[in-house]
Amino acid sequence: MKGLILAGGTGSRLRPITHTGPKQLIPVANKPVLEYAVEDLREAGITDVGVVLGHKGREAIQAFLGDGSEFGVDVTYIVQGNPLGLAHAAGCAREFVGDDDFVMYLGDNLLNRGIGRLVEDFESGDYGASIALQGVDDPGAFGIAEVDEAGEVRRLVEKPDDPPSDLALIGIYVFSPAVFDAIEELEPSWRGELEITDAIQSLLDDGLAVRSHVVESWWKDTGKPGDVLEANRLVLSDIDPASEGTVEDGAETRGRIDTRDGAVVESGAVVRGPVSLGRDVTVKEGAYIGPYTSIGPNSTVADTHVENSVIIGDAEIDASERIVDSLVGSGATIASADDVLPDGQRLVVGANSDLKL
Amino acid sequence: MRIITHTCPDCGTVVSANELEANRVMKCPGLDCESVLRFADLPADDREHFLEHRERYRL
Repeated sequence: MKGLILAGGTGSRLRPITHTGPKQLIPVANKPVLEYAVEDLREAGITDVGVVLGHKGREAIQAFLGDGSEFGVDVTYIVQGNPLGLAHAAGCAREFVGDDDFVMYLGDNLLNRGIGRLVEDFESGDYGASIALQGVDDPGAFGIAEVDEAGEVRRLVEKPDDPPSDLALIGIYVFSPAVFDAIEELEPSWRGELEITDAIQSLLDDGLAVRSHVVESWWKDTGKPGDVLEANRLVLSDIDPASEGTVEDGAETRGRIDTRDGAVVESGAVVRGPVSLGRDVTVKEGAYIGPYTSIGPNSTVADTHVENSVIIGDAEIDASERIVDSLVGSGATIASADDVLPDGQRLVVGANSDLKL
Repeated sequence: MRIITHTCPDCGTVVSANELEANRVMKCPGLDCESVLRFADLPADDREHFLEHRERYRL
């Protein structure tokens, strides 16, 4: 079996963070989202991995993953170019996949328990596909599957007015190579894309069985800033912390604190986990880092309260303020305006930023 | 819809026809690969099909 990670898309809902890099490299608990997908594939025994690239972030993703050897996989890059839909992305991988089955994994998705059970379900029978589903509160906003008592998918409907179930497709699929013929038969949808739901429906119409796999633990699409914070909270809740850094005498720490090489919690600082401190992070005297916060490499926090936030890295934060529920991009500086006249906030803010002052 | 791709003979990166056609001649997008890829590298049948249905390959 092969793996296919879709790492295209513009990341428009994550601007301005995605002005300078692809959404798949935004870190959650100090690890890029994309790396979780690679790990899930590898842990399911899949080491031959195709990575589909769009227009944005091609070089950054290739620079991060390289040939995959650092992550225990062998990576082939597939350049989709125009975003013509998930089924088009899959279709571009036909030569790479060949006659194998394959897992297709959206590269901005996070799954708590991995994909082992999904793959086992697919391999337990003669299926054209297996799709991961999760119960949602608002099925009218999703692609929804109608599933019979045996767990086989009967039909798919996109954003239904009258949903046949609350089981939404979550962006992780296993396909037999039969899907490529189904994709060849597709026509672009009203939005000009080849839809993967149409390809799966085509498999059903051709008489192939499609297995459902309901994900009971958490799953997260990290498409928006709030989703990144929520994913960070979920991952930190379960983190097995590294202890590579230094906690000085006189520092106050409590809970699980993940510290990477060179991280320092100085005397007089307070850190309450779960927290992740990246490589060469310094938490200085007077700073407070509260639960569900990840601070990226080469950052310094002084005299500031930071809680339930993701600081991507290379940041200088010294503001005598409380920063909560925030996503701070790479290389940001947040300083105090207390001693600066005239009184007021001073901002150098990128396009599409979102501030609450 | 027929999906047409070309594989870089040097690094194995797969490139879709819409990307090749948009550039006609391009450096391989594989990192550190110096190969030059051309729309003309595609088989004649693929090129003809793509050009006849070009609008479908644009968003």
